[in-house]
Amino acid sequence: MISDRISEMKGLMGAGHTEIRAQRSTTRRVGVLKGNVVSNVRSETMGVCARVYRSGVYGFASGAEYSPEAVRDILAAAQRNAEFMDTRVGKGKPALPVIPAQKLTFDPGFTDPEQKKYLDFVLELDAYLEKTYPALASRSVSAYADSMEKLLVTNDGADGYSILPRSYVYVTLTAPTSDGSTVELFTVLGGQDAGCFDKRYTSIEPFKAEIDRLYGDVMRKAEGVYAEAGLRDVILGPNLAGMIAHEAVGHTVEADLVLGGSVAAHLLGKPVASELVTMVDYAHTLSSGKQAPLPVYVDDEGTPASDEVLIKDGILVGYMNSRESAQHFGMEPHGNARAFAFSDEPLIRMRNTGIVPGTSKLEDMIASIDNGYYLTETGNGQADTTGEFMFGVNMGFEIKNGKLGRAIRDTTVSGVAFEMLKSVTALSDDDVWVSSGFCGKKQPMPVGMGGPAFKCKINIGGR
Amino acid sequence: MNDRKLAEYTLEKLEKLGADAAAVSVSHSSTDELNVDGGEFSLMRTLFDTGVSLSVIKNGAKGTAAINQTSKEDIDAACAAAIASAENAKPDEAERIAPFKGKEKFTQGVLVPDVAALYDRIEEFLRDTREQFPKIMMEQFIADYRRESGIYMNTNGTEFELEEGCYGLSSMFSAHEGETAGSFNGADAAFTSLDRAFMDMASHRRLFRESSDSLYPKPVDGKFTGTLIASPDLLSSFMYTVLGNFCSNGTIIDGTSPWLSMLGRQVASKGFTLTSRPLDPEVVCGERFAGGFKSENMTYIEDGVLKGFMLSDYGARKTGFERAKNLSGSFFVEPGTTPLSEIIAGVERGMIVNRFSGGEPAQNGDFSGVAKNSFLVENGKIVGAVNETMINGSFLELMKSVRAISSDTESSGGGVMPWAAFDGVTISGK
Repeated sequence: MISDRISEMKGLMGAGHTEIRAQRSTTRRVGVLKGNVVSNVRSETMGVCARVYRSGVYGFASGAEYSPEAVRDILAAAQRNAEFMDTRVGKGKPALPVIPAQKLTFDPGFTDPEQKKYLDFVLELDAYLEKTYPALASRSVSAYADSMEKLLVTNDGADGYSILPRSYVYVTLTAPTSDGSTVELFTVLGGQDAGCFDKRYTSIEPFKAEIDRLYGDVMRKAEGVYAEAGLRDVILGPNLAGMIAHEAVGHTVEADLVLGGSVAAHLLGKPVASELVTMVDYAHTLSSGKQAPLPVYVDDEGTPASDEVLIKDGILVGYMNSRESAQHFGMEPHGNARAFAFSDEPLIRMRNTGIVPGTSKLEDMIASIDNGYYLTETGNGQADTTGEFMFGVNMGFEIKNGKLGRAIRDTTVSGVAFEMLKSVTALSDDDVWVSSGFCGKKQPMPVGMGGPAFKCKINIGGR
Repeated sequence: MNDRKLAEYTLEKLEKLGADAAAVSVSHSSTDELNVDGGEFSLMRTLFDTGVSLSVIKNGAKGTAAINQTSKEDIDAACAAAIASAENAKPDEAERIAPFKGKEKFTQGVLVPDVAALYDRIEEFLRDTREQFPKIMMEQFIADYRRESGIYMNTNGTEFELEEGCYGLSSMFSAHEGETAGSFNGADAAFTSLDRAFMDMASHRRLFRESSDSLYPKPVDGKFTGTLIASPDLLSSFMYTVLGNFCSNGTIIDGTSPWLSMLGRQVASKGFTLTSRPLDPEVVCGERFAGGFKSENMTYIEDGVLKGFMLSDYGARKTGFERAKNLSGSFFVEPGTTPLSEIIAGVERGMIVNRFSGGEPAQNGDFSGVAKNSFLVENGKIVGAVNETMINGSFLELMKSVRAISSDTESSGGGVMPWAAFDGVTISGK
């Protein structure tokens, strides 16, 4: 646990919002490619930062040394930077509204197993793949674990302590195709929520069924066809719903991007989706009462975290804010200002962003399409200020006369978020959450995302 | 302890713990960074960091560890972790610490920054943007100065020291008119002098003009096969993908690269030459050493013929192919002799594409994604900006379908790229 060398600095913070954060981040990684250990790494960073607000501008400083003297120096450097900016820029904005003082803690327990645990699991799983699936052209297995431990003090808000460990095993299978090429497909074993590696990956047995499904899918993909390009009726599987929530809508309603010119700047209070659609950025607890995949109880500028409803019954009702942007828009901040490393300043980030499930059954939704696609797996995505979004599709199937047909090769889908969401005609009654990804926005950030399957019209790439 | 003493201590510690061979890098960095958000100054940052990374070979297996602390206790713990990692990994004859490559010190860039002048350049840039391109909203602009010093040492006697500093900028912007928002675009540059206005760097003037002209785009009507003219930025990202999918450790080691047997053979159209040149004067603070080897310029594709793979020392020893002479990504595509305007004039139907927003291209080279900041070309003329339009194809085919390479080039401090026109791309709208 990080020792507290920052609370004693409260007396040096002065007037105006100031935060000091000490942070330790760890990464463990083992990668095996077709039996070869290609990565075997343990890394760790530790440091302290301070951020100071002055009349509409911030000063920030960070350093790796974590002694009382170093903390004092870092705070002084942040204060000098704030002073420099205020003197030069002179925005003259009022102080940020004060948040009642309190201390919020999240400590689910953290264990940091030795590298042998990762190596043994990955090598055993790789040996199983080699023996069980000899038809594969290639395979890779990676174990990955990270953690963020943060200690925060502020002079006008909440203090906090949190530790968030994540661990995942990534499996990629590559299958030969009849034309001499290859196709690949990956899955994240145990990607639904966070946790420590030695608690989650004690045996490969529980994961064999998921690997068998992956193998079946990649072999079908090897015989698959290219999608027919154009605007199509599709069912987006639950694994894709989170990507819609995150990429298509989430980024456009981050208040800093709204201030930067996002199309959502002019849509607050207006219909942006079918009235079936309600979308929430959850802080720590899902509407089902389950813990969110990556819970946040206090953000990195001292705001206690609570849910931010973004779309309610198809109407855009909220933005995700920092304390500064909330003041600008006359809204309440709900704890979205998060920083990745000790050397990073808090930015407005999503936490656990999802679409609330509906009442339809997935099989009925598939049966309702005469000619379209059922898209089941995704990889990456990107959004635009215009609301135009895209994300990659790694696995999907044709739907012909209400029945699943041939698998399709890798493709990309795109659309304009607030047009596509108006085409939603059904949401399934279950949801799937994932937590293994990183969002990129100046800094990376672990995010959770989820939702149900839904039926809509979307532009699909192909031949 | 200074960096050298720290590195020496670390190597001694690793040898005492039983390492057969080891390498260590120790570095210190400082960064001054100025940020603009929503068109206004927002933040100034000063960052200090340290890096200690170590690799060890024990009983034929490799382990690595990286920390940012320099106390004896922290170094000892990192050494123990790396040794334990190696002890539990599988032995692999391809693993090694790089052999002796000499002792050398590299100094490059500008070592004393002028942060006040950097601020002034940003202020000027924001003013120039408002006055010359009033539709442009600067969503985010970051300019910084980063200085780094460090040393690499290994148990085979190699010592490389580095001291460097350079400025960088990164802009993200979009055009706006009333409630109409255009697609975002961005630019990056690295540089060592504040002599030039930022408007004249990173292609800002061209990109701002194009964004301002793209506020009312239309989707392409239907689907057709046509010519894709890739901007220098897009061409650069295409080259990263091509080398990553067809020439890198992953697909060469596992044998799935479609170019595995293509060394010395035609993989691209004649006239297409791709090099990686971190030592080129156009590259700012280019890579000087990597993985214990001194970096050299190299050629990947010469006149369409594949000349080398992007393999690390491990990848090379694993596969028997030659190691890449650098791992920098300082890519250059040799310019052609035709001006861009003439290339455009010769296109019957196609698109000029500045940015590609797509799914990760498949290992076999298939790609699909949205053409961003793009313009439709018909009968040799630019007829308008497009949106909601996808481009689809295969990088294997694309590389063999180079129609023309422009004589015009752009440089961002990381390499030099022309425009390149490729035939046979599927373009689909609504």
